[in-house]
Amino acid sequence: MTGPGVLVRGAGLVKRFGGIVAVDGVEVSVAEGDLIGLIGPNGSGKTTLVNLLTGHLPPDGGEVFLRGRRVTGAGAHILAALGVGRTFQLTQLFGRMTVLENMLVPGLTQPGSTWEGARQRARRYLEFLNLAHLENQYARNLSGGQQKLLELGRALMLEPTVLFLDEPFAGVHPRLRDELIGRIRDLHRSGRTFVVVDHDMDSILRLARRLIVLARGRTIADGPPDAVRADPAVLAAYAGS
Amino acid sequence: MRGLHAYVLAAAGVCALVYGHLLNPYWMHVAIIAMFYGILAASWSLLAGYAGLFSLGHMAFASLGGYTSALLVQWYRLPIPAGMAAGVVLCTLVGAGIGWICLRMSGPYLAIFTLGFAEIVRITFSTEDEVTGGMAGLHTAPLFRAATDLPYYYTAFGLLVFSLATLAVIARSRWGLFLRALREDEQAAAASGVAVARFRTLAFAVASGFAGLAGGFYAHYVGILTPSVGSLDLMALLVVMAVIGGMERIPTAVGGAFGVEFLQEALRAYGQWRLVLFGLILLGTMRFARNGLLTPAWLQFVRLGEIRGPAPARRGVGQEGSGP
Repeated sequence: MTGPGVLVRGAGLVKRFGGIVAVDGVEVSVAEGDLIGLIGPNGSGKTTLVNLLTGHLPPDGGEVFLRGRRVTGAGAHILAALGVGRTFQLTQLFGRMTVLENMLVPGLTQPGSTWEGARQRARRYLEFLNLAHLENQYARNLSGGQQKLLELGRALMLEPTVLFLDEPFAGVHPRLRDELIGRIRDLHRSGRTFVVVDHDMDSILRLARRLIVLARGRTIADGPPDAVRADPAVLAAYAGS
Repeated sequence: MRGLHAYVLAAAGVCALVYGHLLNPYWMHVAIIAMFYGILAASWSLLAGYAGLFSLGHMAFASLGGYTSALLVQWYRLPIPAGMAAGVVLCTLVGAGIGWICLRMSGPYLAIFTLGFAEIVRITFSTEDEVTGGMAGLHTAPLFRAATDLPYYYTAFGLLVFSLATLAVIARSRWGLFLRALREDEQAAAASGVAVARFRTLAFAVASGFAGLAGGFYAHYVGILTPSVGSLDLMALLVVMAVIGGMERIPTAVGGAFGVEFLQEALRAYGQWRLVLFGLILLGTMRFARNGLLTPAWLQFVRLGEIRGPAPARRGVGQEGSGP
């Protein structure tokens, strides 16, 4: 899939760590407006694939394209500037910086940004995420769920066209999880594209319009959730895990 | 009154200028050396405290700046300020090079790498005695020919103010915010659009340039330069100064430099035991006050104006007060 509307494409991506092939010739494309659930058993290569597509790891083979432009090997900060946002499997905030400062870092990397403009945008997103009252708290003092929300907010400050969320619901209280799902839906409706990696099938199925399933570094299914759930290969992969 | 701390510091600076001449020669020398360490502690704070790059090569850059200036003045009869400027430029370039080489290093690996660099510099200056005078030292041209050290006092003061102002502008700018983000999490900083390699290199270059400036001044103040300027002993002393004061804020790091330097002299009667005392203070700081002994007092001092002002400012971000 290379036509118009394709935002991110990974072509024949390969990544090895020593003798382990974490990602083995994966073909993946993310179209504008997609809300994709990327699932798979533990060790299936989901996070490695996200790292390859967001510039955090260089592939050993294959290519990455962003809006048709080859970006293989470009650093994460370059992809961030081109509109690729992400969150991490284990929340990675700037712990000894305040909530507002966490938001300002990506805000001020934008060309032409000003402190006042970035501050206003940050406060708007903090309101949207119900974190406005915490703006002067150190990020490390927030609860696990609030940290996940802040990480989403920080990624939003890049005004990304596509957002990769790596296990956004892990360890999050059910009430905050519902809030997070609601915010992702709102953002998707406003035109953002999402790829959500998670083990929480309930949350993924509530969100995703398309599921991609990885097993042992390979794509074993890609399609609408109902079809993927009934796929024998998927059932076998999960039963095996 | 908003920004009360800035007015108080400015008033203290004016007093230091106006009443500096009242110091006897001994304490004037101590004050000059304290200001030399103040520049080094402030610039090391930017590198280690803000950016989290724990370098043990900072005194080696001071040494490099000092020798560069002294030798250029000796060989080419350059005016001393030009020699000092050349030292700053060389240290900035070498610092950028070291920063670039160390891009993938942090924590103990970076500390050991920069320690190795410092030892190479020190041993080179010791061994090349035909050029540097070796351990016997290199006689340097004095910056001033005056009956007292007062001109040196004013010069050190000017260099310190210039260094602090420049470093404070960097620390309070978006660059300072990005450096702190690097310290916290480089991967997250990259995901936020921060060019990690560029800012790590920049931190090394700027900090090394200021170390070179301090070294250049020192070379033309003391009159004789030995390789021990770049020794691990003096690097350890600099770390003690910045850590005891509070390495994550430039004013507290400078306060630590002043405090330790003055205590070193005030406790001279106790000989080597005073160094044991500093060791104990360092241990206590790391155990009970990891942000430094002066940091709580500094934060209270900064908030003083905000609390009593007519419109209390929120504890804020960047330009609003989380910088120095």
